[in-house]
Amino acid sequence: MTVPTNMQKDPAALVTALEAAEARLRSIMQTVPDAMIIIDERGRIESLSTTAERLFGYSMDEVAGKNIKLLMPTPHREQHDNYLKRYLTTGERRIIGIGRVVVGQRKDGTTFPMHLTIGELRSANKHYFTGFIRDLTDQQVTESRLKELQSEVTHMSRFTALGEMASTLAHEINQPLTAIANYLKGCQRLLERIDGEPALVLHDAVSKAADQALRAGDIIRRLREFVARGEGERRVESLPKLIEDASTLALIGVKENGIAVSFRLDPAAALVLADRIQIQQVLVNLIRNAMETMIESGSRRELEIGTVANADETVEVRVSDTGAGLAPEVAAHLFQPFVTTKRKGMGLGLSICRTIVEAHGGRIWVDSRPSGGTIFRFTLRTAPIDEEPARAG
Amino acid sequence: MARTAGTVLIVDDDAAVRSSLKFALEVEGLSVRLYDGPTALLADRDLPLCGCLVVDYRMPGLDGLQLVDTLRARNVTLPVILIAGRANKQLRRVAAKSGISYVLEKPLSDGALMESIRSALASYG
Repeated sequence: MTVPTNMQKDPAALVTALEAAEARLRSIMQTVPDAMIIIDERGRIESLSTTAERLFGYSMDEVAGKNIKLLMPTPHREQHDNYLKRYLTTGERRIIGIGRVVVGQRKDGTTFPMHLTIGELRSANKHYFTGFIRDLTDQQVTESRLKELQSEVTHMSRFTALGEMASTLAHEINQPLTAIANYLKGCQRLLERIDGEPALVLHDAVSKAADQALRAGDIIRRLREFVARGEGERRVESLPKLIEDASTLALIGVKENGIAVSFRLDPAAALVLADRIQIQQVLVNLIRNAMETMIESGSRRELEIGTVANADETVEVRVSDTGAGLAPEVAAHLFQPFVTTKRKGMGLGLSICRTIVEAHGGRIWVDSRPSGGTIFRFTLRTAPIDEEPARAG
Repeated sequence: MARTAGTVLIVDDDAAVRSSLKFALEVEGLSVRLYDGPTALLADRDLPLCGCLVVDYRMPGLDGLQLVDTLRARNVTLPVILIAGRANKQLRRVAAKSGISYVLEKPLSDGALMESIRSALASYG
């Protein structure tokens, strides 16, 4: 706020000007149709627009001076102070001026998707941040935003399902081809030990048959290479951000179904080498599966998403549920195509997950939770620290 | 025909692939044992000291790599030839870490398997 110079010497005029400025701000905050929150550089809430009060269920008096992390669910609640600190030290913008879909938490503990844009304000020696929030709970807005988010993932799913079928077909055809080639090879060796003209002719024919089996194998190999996901798409990505983006999409409806979600992210599991969309697809798949089994089975509904950095340049990502768990005979075949425990569904989801994870040089497997339920785990390769993460979109 | 020292242990869940390998290898004078999966192999308490393993990568239950890791944990040091539908760089890297000597692609091109088996068995002198 600029104070005219002639007022600086007159305390009374100064006070009046400040009061007027404050009144103006108050009136803006009361009438602005958007939810708007101003915080200081330590994350403390300075003011809240009336719409924001309504949206989060807190009154200005309740939250004034409190940390903004109150309005967000884990893992951001624990991390937000660090986000601020990181920005203030590095100046690296992850959300400021960019805007993102994130999850807000109301006073009653329920969460909702929201679009957040952050502006920055420096005055004299103070530093403020202004958040503009668009509630995406509203059907139309949510749907269009979700469609945006979902479209790339579903497009990818269809493509991968196609690739998965081709690769299953390739595997199935390769088995008999391998057997044919082996039998013919044995025959050739036996024929070499038999004298006479017919044996020579037979040897020639058998060797030509063997060539044809190998030719069929080559065609299969080319088909597989054609559908194989390219390794060129892999970039250095921030694992927490990947998980956050995938969760935003996958966790829709989590509160309505009484599922408690928690995150345990290892700070050391930061950068991975991955195709963002593909790994999001794996995460969305695992999270939706976990939610579905808990909705079907259970009284206890706890979903946990966690990461651990391993010593061998890999990270482990796990999604655990408190659902009915898996019978061992089902678990053994779970990652094969066309195996499913669902009434509806093709049984391609987990097999696609496996294809993607293995193409990333990782492994995917399932464990039983000691206290009931299952834990899906997969590994990814970490990126060298000196590489920059891919820019946020 | 002189028998080459050592037994070839074949682990593959596909019956046709299994018996065709047995046929082709026995014609070459090798002695062969067949297992229809990791469980069958792990249940065999009388594994030969001299020989080599030919393991299919993609099997239900434990995959070829997990099977080899389990064997290594039991101090079974037999050389391993892994047969995979597709053997990309990643798989070869991970296989090397598990002490797998050879990774071959299906269908097996002429002579590649025999060569690998012979050089695996040659390590026994």
